[in-house]
Amino acid sequence: MPLLGSFCLLFALALAAYCFVVGVIAAVRQDAVGYRLAETARRAGMASFAAVLVAAGALVYAALTDDFSVAYILHHSNRALPGPYKFAVLWSGQEGSVLFWALLLSAYGFVLRLRHKVDQRLVAMASMVLAGIQVFFLILANFAANPFGMMDRVAADGSGLNPLLQYPEMVIHPPMLYLGYVGVSVPFAFALAALIMRYPGEKWIHITRRWTMVAWLFLTFGISLGAHWAYAVLGWGGYWGWDPVENASLLPWLSTTAFLHSVMMQEKRGMMKVWNVWLIFITFMLSILGTMLTRSGMVSSVHAFAQSSIGTWFTGLLIVTFTVCLVFYIVNRDHLRSENNLESLVSRESSFMFNNLLLLGACFAVLCGTLFPMLSEAVRDVKMNLGAPFYNKVIVPIGLFLIFLTAVGPLLAWRNTSVGSIKRNFAIPGTVALVVELVVAGILGKNGVRFWTDTWQMYAMLAFCLSTLVIATVASEFIRGGIVWKNKLQTNLLFGMYQLTRRNMRRYGGYVVHFGVVLVVIGLAGAAFNRDKEQEMAAGDKLELGRYTLVSRAYTEDDNANYQSRAALLDVYKNGKFLTQLNPEERRFKASGGQPVHIIANHSTLREDLYVTFQGLNNQTGHPIIKAIINPLVNWIWIGVLVIAFGTGMALVPNATVMTVPVPSAVAVASIEKQQGMQPAGAGK
Amino acid sequence: MKRAARLLILPLMAVLLMGADNQEARYQKLGGKIMCTCGCAEMLLQCDHVGCPNSDRMTHELRANVQRMSNDEEVLDWFRSTWGVAAVVEPRTHGFELLAWILPTAGLALGLLLVVLVIRNWKMRPAPVAAADLNLAPDLEALRDRARRETEI
Repeated sequence: MPLLGSFCLLFALALAAYCFVVGVIAAVRQDAVGYRLAETARRAGMASFAAVLVAAGALVYAALTDDFSVAYILHHSNRALPGPYKFAVLWSGQEGSVLFWALLLSAYGFVLRLRHKVDQRLVAMASMVLAGIQVFFLILANFAANPFGMMDRVAADGSGLNPLLQYPEMVIHPPMLYLGYVGVSVPFAFALAALIMRYPGEKWIHITRRWTMVAWLFLTFGISLGAHWAYAVLGWGGYWGWDPVENASLLPWLSTTAFLHSVMMQEKRGMMKVWNVWLIFITFMLSILGTMLTRSGMVSSVHAFAQSSIGTWFTGLLIVTFTVCLVFYIVNRDHLRSENNLESLVSRESSFMFNNLLLLGACFAVLCGTLFPMLSEAVRDVKMNLGAPFYNKVIVPIGLFLIFLTAVGPLLAWRNTSVGSIKRNFAIPGTVALVVELVVAGILGKNGVRFWTDTWQMYAMLAFCLSTLVIATVASEFIRGGIVWKNKLQTNLLFGMYQLTRRNMRRYGGYVVHFGVVLVVIGLAGAAFNRDKEQEMAAGDKLELGRYTLVSRAYTEDDNANYQSRAALLDVYKNGKFLTQLNPEERRFKASGGQPVHIIANHSTLREDLYVTFQGLNNQTGHPIIKAIINPLVNWIWIGVLVIAFGTGMALVPNATVMTVPVPSAVAVASIEKQQGMQPAGAGK
Repeated sequence: MKRAARLLILPLMAVLLMGADNQEARYQKLGGKIMCTCGCAEMLLQCDHVGCPNSDRMTHELRANVQRMSNDEEVLDWFRSTWGVAAVVEPRTHGFELLAWILPTAGLALGLLLVVLVIRNWKMRPAPVAAADLNLAPDLEALRDRARRETEI
């Protein structure tokens, strides 16, 4: 099997190289022969997917059958490892993850090449660009990080999978993140292809929009699954630590989010063409940079990745990519001239520009923080990592501005918005936000929370207010539009809103995404009100935290082939009434030298999580040390992510029908002319 | 007399307890700014790896310094001088570390300037010819298309 895998990897490289080289020749020739060559390149590209799939299958088979003659399997698996985690071995180490990247890239390429009839010339060019990236990853997988390296002698058992990865979510988190990272290669390929070809019109934007949204959705899922994994496994009570690996996933997410907004300017007004093309280029380069940072050992991370020379390869790819993008931009920049001018500062266009400024500002700040250790090492010979205190101070204010724009943007009209329209559109949402804020402040004050004395709690209050404003504006958009359709179809408001949504799935799906985002923001803001307590607990001891009382009932130990575990059994009382039993645990995996992993016990409600961890044993007394944390509103984050996924799904669905407007009669035209200069009722409609 | 003593003791205890609370909060807050220096790349209060040579000592030192020093920056400086500048993950607001604060702000300011310049450039360009001047009345469908695109109806 390893031999078959090795052969397939080499064969896949040959096919991808053929696809790239012949694709270039076909693009240069542009005649009947070139067309036929392009078709062979397309087929070779599709076949490369089959070859990489067999190679990946061979590696998984080696893991499932405990083939420790393969070095990669020896270092990342062991006999006692449960089946699903053996499957996850594919992406748990350096060599496997490069192969996995190549697999996903060829899978995306396969779908792209299969759907070539969308626009044969453009897809052929994009396929050629994608094949170039495939060649890079297959060279890596064959020569720099080969997963099929063999051992001189076969060991009886392997070193085991990283214990932190032995958690169900870890089986799906990396594939999701990789699908996102690799997914941005497709819009990049289309953008570069369109620039090279001087492709007329915005069709490439329409084609890539769905690809970009899919990549963005995978990135969102990947990031949130990683956050949930950190929350459930790392045991420190948080979900985001601003670790370089986490930052690496956030960077392309921020730039893709900026692109998904600014691309609307190009579609609707023919503006920001240069900006959009560079946003896609930058997004792709950020995904490569992230990979380079986390795999080269340039920055320290709690996420264990091998340090190797692979970083040099990625530096090379970055330089080549930037050079190619810059050359074609310089040569064809006149093709990207804007078709329209900005007519007013108070318009949808300007809100998109400021939205992009803030998103890219956040992206730049995260990038600066992530690269600062390298700068510090170069200047002072000390690698100084920046942590949460730095990022929170820089990113939170930017984030708050962004939420404000999320509330304001959709209510501004394209081209120009009058003051009267702003007043009309913001009166109700603004009042609702203020009232909700006062109610929240009253409830917190009644519970003794002096939020005005703490900067972070003040930020959280502002976040609550702005989030309510977003929810109110989204609701007002649905309701006002729904009323129009209700009256038009003589039906109820709910059906009116349904009809409204079905006719513009992208726009209203986008609003649902905004709603999901503010749910996430509310969840994040809850962290400002966290409370915790750590205590040694012998049988019968009590730990009091807020409304909760934890009573220690027993302490147990267990031993199986994979790990040893220690756990506490705790009765939980809320306001003096029995609520539930919690069982926080600590596991030490044998194959990994006894590294502890926390299996947290969590009682989760919409209001708060009671998060309990087994911190270890007091060596002197032999009693377990328990840490309890009250994390308010955490569940809103996970619910928000599901709402975001639902909204993105909606935005991907085509509209029900294209609305036709009857030709106005002379009287109607006269009446319209009379009303000229007036703002529409819903400026954003 | 007893009542007077109680009246004196109660606020005193409250102040002392409040102080204890503050010390714990300071310990947690400062612990979130200090990194374990053993190379595990974890924050000091989160480091739980087996046989860590530094974290126990560092947490004891943190607790002692929180009691001894009233100024947070003084505690952090103590860790910088004892364990190296890399031990503290919040950059100082002077010297080389100031750069970490300046870069994102400067980037954002530069971006804002760029946006303003782009908008100014757009506004200074000659305005597109008004639809009415082109006498496009018969071509209503094209205008409608444009209206649809721009208003999303």
